[in-house]
Amino acid sequence: MEEQRDHRKKGADDEVEAQRLVYRELKASGRTAEAHAALNRLVELDPSGGTATFAHRERAKLGEVGERPVRIAILSSYVLDPLVPFLDVECRRAGLTPAFYVAPFNQYTQEVLNPSSGLYAFGPEIVFVALDLEDLFPGVRRVPSVDDLAKSRAEIRGTVAGLVRELHARSTALIVVHEPTFTGSSPHGILDNRRGDGLSRWTEDVNRDLAEDLGAQAHAFLLPLRQVLGRAGNERGQSRKLFYMARMRHTDGALRELASYSMRYVKPLKGLTRKCVVVDLDGTLWGGVVGEVGPDGIQLGPAAPGIEFVDFQEALLNLTKRGILLAVCSKNNPDDVMPVLREHKHMVLREEHFAAVRINWRNKAENLREIAEELNIGLDSFVFLDDNPVERELIRQMLPQVLTIELPRDASQYRSTLESLSDFELLALTKEDEQRASQYQANRQRQALELSSGSLEDYLHSLEIRAEIARAEGHHVPRLVQMLNKTNQFNTTTRRYQTPEIERFVASPDHRVYVLEVADRFGEHGLVGSAIVRRERDAWRIDNVLLSCRVMGLSVETVLLKRIYDAARLHDAARLVGEFIPTAKNGPTADFYRRHGFQLAGEVDGAQAWTLDPRVDRIEDPAWIAVKTTGE
Amino acid sequence: MRTLEEVVSGVFGVEPQSLDESSSPQSVEGWDSMGHVNLVTALEQHFNVSIDIDDVMEMGSVGKIREILVAYGVRA
Repeated sequence: MEEQRDHRKKGADDEVEAQRLVYRELKASGRTAEAHAALNRLVELDPSGGTATFAHRERAKLGEVGERPVRIAILSSYVLDPLVPFLDVECRRAGLTPAFYVAPFNQYTQEVLNPSSGLYAFGPEIVFVALDLEDLFPGVRRVPSVDDLAKSRAEIRGTVAGLVRELHARSTALIVVHEPTFTGSSPHGILDNRRGDGLSRWTEDVNRDLAEDLGAQAHAFLLPLRQVLGRAGNERGQSRKLFYMARMRHTDGALRELASYSMRYVKPLKGLTRKCVVVDLDGTLWGGVVGEVGPDGIQLGPAAPGIEFVDFQEALLNLTKRGILLAVCSKNNPDDVMPVLREHKHMVLREEHFAAVRINWRNKAENLREIAEELNIGLDSFVFLDDNPVERELIRQMLPQVLTIELPRDASQYRSTLESLSDFELLALTKEDEQRASQYQANRQRQALELSSGSLEDYLHSLEIRAEIARAEGHHVPRLVQMLNKTNQFNTTTRRYQTPEIERFVASPDHRVYVLEVADRFGEHGLVGSAIVRRERDAWRIDNVLLSCRVMGLSVETVLLKRIYDAARLHDAARLVGEFIPTAKNGPTADFYRRHGFQLAGEVDGAQAWTLDPRVDRIEDPAWIAVKTTGE
Repeated sequence: MRTLEEVVSGVFGVEPQSLDESSSPQSVEGWDSMGHVNLVTALEQHFNVSIDIDDVMEMGSVGKIREILVAYGVRA
């Protein structure tokens, strides 16, 4: 069988080779029309780009003899010359003899505006205008704001309308504009199509503008490039045969992609969103070894080699806008590296973008453990990016809970590798997520202050902590659900309530849901704590108390408990009951009720019940926190 | 290169020795309509052929499959 397949392949190769010989003979003997026909046959036998290019080149040498000429011009913002041989093949197949003009790379504006340009001298019958979205709007891959998007939408509309108008004023050619298409991954992930600054909707808007403008002109068309590109993928991804046989539509390849994308929804639902990306430097954020070649010798800049690293850094920076933290772990001398982080003109990521930095010669597993401790997040929330396979293997073996990415050898694939990960998705983006990176930066300043303060209490006073506590309302629900599903350490019962349950609690007269917002002199922490309380006949039962790890150690949890206590006392409740369910991770919460004066009353199925009599016992707010309560 | 029996046994998880030319959806557990789609996909990939849909419908036994594959130039 193997042998037989080789035979068939060899047979096909032989045929192509024979056809080339036929062509050469015809060309050599000056039988031009027959030579053209031989080329037609050749590209049918071998539809590869290489053969199409060979045929196109040969036709120029042969000289044209065919009838029905057509003059085709291409204006583009990127290199589209490789389209010409394929278009040539298609024209011949249709019985046309084409002539082509491809305007110099990215000079479409001059070509259109200058009446004596090569374009007009060529006298095209049809002009394809291919402007890439990234060229029209270079900021598109760097999380543009709503304002940027609105501005560039108007600019693109104006640019295309102007080009078409000027072109039409100087030429009778049919004008075909390619749809601007965004082919990258959205920096917003699965949230893209529910945001005002999402790129999918914006791309739709841009193209709807163009379709409207061009649709009103008989000489201008919009080529549906997205559909065309989709078809290229669909060719392999869709199968009518499977549909006829089994009412299936997707091939295995497409199903694999679909399954992978589906995990972008499953992972955040199950609290598996990774929170921190630890990156190496040499070979990862830039090319080359800075300790050997110096800051000016590394590969990092607007042209290759180097542009691939700039692009990769942009993708990492985009992650921070979703609340993902970045950290550096590099074997280097700080003196070699810091000038790059601080001053290199083409660095996208700067010192302030990293929540933690470890530049030393120690074992990377140790460094990662330390970073986890410093940032107060679990190692199972970490992603590790390092171009060195030895370091990756070390982390895989020593810290299997860290997601170690098999970074490709080719740095031009770094960005797409990162963007193909389904581990950074959120089901809702909260203000806290967007501010997280800057909050951790403020944390570093707080720690510096801690070191300079004498006692812990002096330190806490110097932070000027403000806590605001209120009854939860509808707009708090997304953040509440997010915290309930990802908070592990300070979480009394780890009950993973979802949106419908929380909405019910918020609306229910039998439940009280409290939210805690905290700020200090370095900035706002946002909504970082919550409590769910159920009113029973003679007792108030605290179903859950949780606190973001960012504010652990400030005693703000006491403020939450004090608020519940005040309300219970006001309603003359005989008992305040706090439930505690121990887990592998919530050790830091184990003594929460004890240290606030609760007594362990019993334990059922691993759930402890702690009680306190609000009529007798007392809970006080910490002296260093300015508390503001709103609502009853 | 695996034999036809090995491909069929791989798809349905049965011993290759338990298959013969008359093995069919009636005698092989799991060879239902969905199993048939999986079998065709496996045959296409393994023998590097694209099987026409009317042939797919004819593939009612191991013997019949062999006959069809031979017609595609596969020495199955």
